[in-house]
Amino acid sequence: MATTAHTRPWTLSRRTQGRLLRFVRQIPGYLVLLAWCGFTVFAIGWIAMSSFKTNRQLFQEPLKLPPQLRFENYSTAWNAVDMGRYFLNSVIVVSVSVFLILAISAPAAYVLSRVKFRGSNTITTLFTAGMGIPYPLLFIPLFALMLNLQLDNTLPGLIVVYVSLSLPFTVYILTGFFITLPSELEDAAVIDGCSDYQVYWRVMLPLASPGLLTAAIFNFIGLWNEYQLALVFANTDKTRTLSLGLYALRNALQYTGDWASLFAGIVIIMLPTVAIYIILSERMISGITMGSLK
Amino acid sequence: MRARKRLIITFLFPATFLYLVFFLYPAIRAFYYSFFDWSGFSYEAKFIGLDNYRELIRDDLFIESLKNTLTIVFVGGVIVFGLAFALTILLNSGIKGRKLFRAIIFLPNVVAVIALTTMWSVAIYHPRFGILKNGLAYLGFESLSRTLWTSPENIFESMLAAIIWMNVGFYVVLLMAGIDKIPHELYEAARIDGANELQMFYRITVPLLWDVITVGIVLWSISALKIFEFPFAFSALEPSPNTYTIAVYLYVMGFGQRTPIYRLGYATAMGVALVLTVVVVVVVLRRVLRREVIQY
Repeated sequence: MATTAHTRPWTLSRRTQGRLLRFVRQIPGYLVLLAWCGFTVFAIGWIAMSSFKTNRQLFQEPLKLPPQLRFENYSTAWNAVDMGRYFLNSVIVVSVSVFLILAISAPAAYVLSRVKFRGSNTITTLFTAGMGIPYPLLFIPLFALMLNLQLDNTLPGLIVVYVSLSLPFTVYILTGFFITLPSELEDAAVIDGCSDYQVYWRVMLPLASPGLLTAAIFNFIGLWNEYQLALVFANTDKTRTLSLGLYALRNALQYTGDWASLFAGIVIIMLPTVAIYIILSERMISGITMGSLK
Repeated sequence: MRARKRLIITFLFPATFLYLVFFLYPAIRAFYYSFFDWSGFSYEAKFIGLDNYRELIRDDLFIESLKNTLTIVFVGGVIVFGLAFALTILLNSGIKGRKLFRAIIFLPNVVAVIALTTMWSVAIYHPRFGILKNGLAYLGFESLSRTLWTSPENIFESMLAAIIWMNVGFYVVLLMAGIDKIPHELYEAARIDGANELQMFYRITVPLLWDVITVGIVLWSISALKIFEFPFAFSALEPSPNTYTIAVYLYVMGFGQRTPIYRLGYATAMGVALVLTVVVVVVVLRRVLRREVIQY
């Protein structure tokens, strides 16, 4: 190829021509992608920008940058409803839930994927079935159950709901991870005198840590953003999570017309997950497809 | 062997116990509750057989909710997959910044639905400072910019557009992952044989991607049938009846909006109807989408 280019210079120019032609053909594609992505970035950026404006500026110059950074809207959003408490509730509920989900799902997924025993397939199918059950079906029967256990409208109750309902998906994802691990390491550990528990703790769990991390990220994002279960099982002044808090904030500010503060509230709820996404987007995107394309 | 058995039981018990008690048991219990007239958690429930279901098919608001839900599933689905396919093809056409574009298209999936629904109904659709109004006015579409996007006659379509925007990214990621698995040699061979882009798309990409497309369509249908959060919080204070879906109407009947309603048996019957709809739609889709699997 190189010699051809040397001896016949016109092939090079033809190649450049080809590249140019290719780029020209790609222009519509770029425009569509830029329009789509530009809209998304602009909409979110506009909200962040407006959260620093006064309402007067918002109405008069909606497309202009705020003249200075005012954080007053953030304190209004924080104080109009009990946002501090809701934020803390979210942190507690989500971190405890994610920890429990992994602690409970990982051993189950390990046994279901690596240990042969009668009934293993039945239990796997049973868990998989859970992924097809729509949550609204559970609203009333599960609420009645929580009421009987005196766990309704409490944070521990919400944690129990979150953990139980997240199990099918997490077991499914983790089973997929454990299955791919080579069995030689397991065998070697057994020969070296490890008990079954030690094999799990010392060998398999560390090997599955990328899977655990993926499952943790998914559950964190899913539960941090979760709204409908919190609405049914923990919608009181003391137990609201951030999602419910944002809706409460919207209803509170509806009367005063303080939209700029509502935008500050949106930024507060978006910031943690978007920050994680900016750092881990590739892992999350590959995790998603791995989960659903098995 | 006994130690092995102990390991299986200790490892499986917590997950199975929680799942059976707090997920599967209430799900099955729902079928039972749907045969009762039950007007509050502390009240006695009265057995009324199929009356809840008889009322359901005569309830105009339920029919409206069902219609809205199916519109989201089918009309929304066609548009979501059309856009997802178009964007996937563009992303795979050798453009630069593929990963960045994909990451931005996927972004709505990591943001709280409640933030997105507020963003659309307030930031984008607001009749005075809204992005759409000012954007259209800026581009010179004066009369279009005066549209009241969230008025009762427009609110459903406005919401549908937002739901589509929010969901396309997931299916783009799904389709792209499927396409990445197709061996490059097939395209090269086709190109040598003189096939153009369109032919390669219909003859190679679509058939080899059929499994992924099927998974995607089934996932979309299930998630769209049970959609709750976006329509519920799209309007302030209480959901607008124009945007009711089955799940929203179920919640309203069970718990009320501003004031409690507590028609618990009736609401649960809607849940059962929802599950049955999911089963019917999934079975029909699987039938319709079944093709011979091509090995490669």
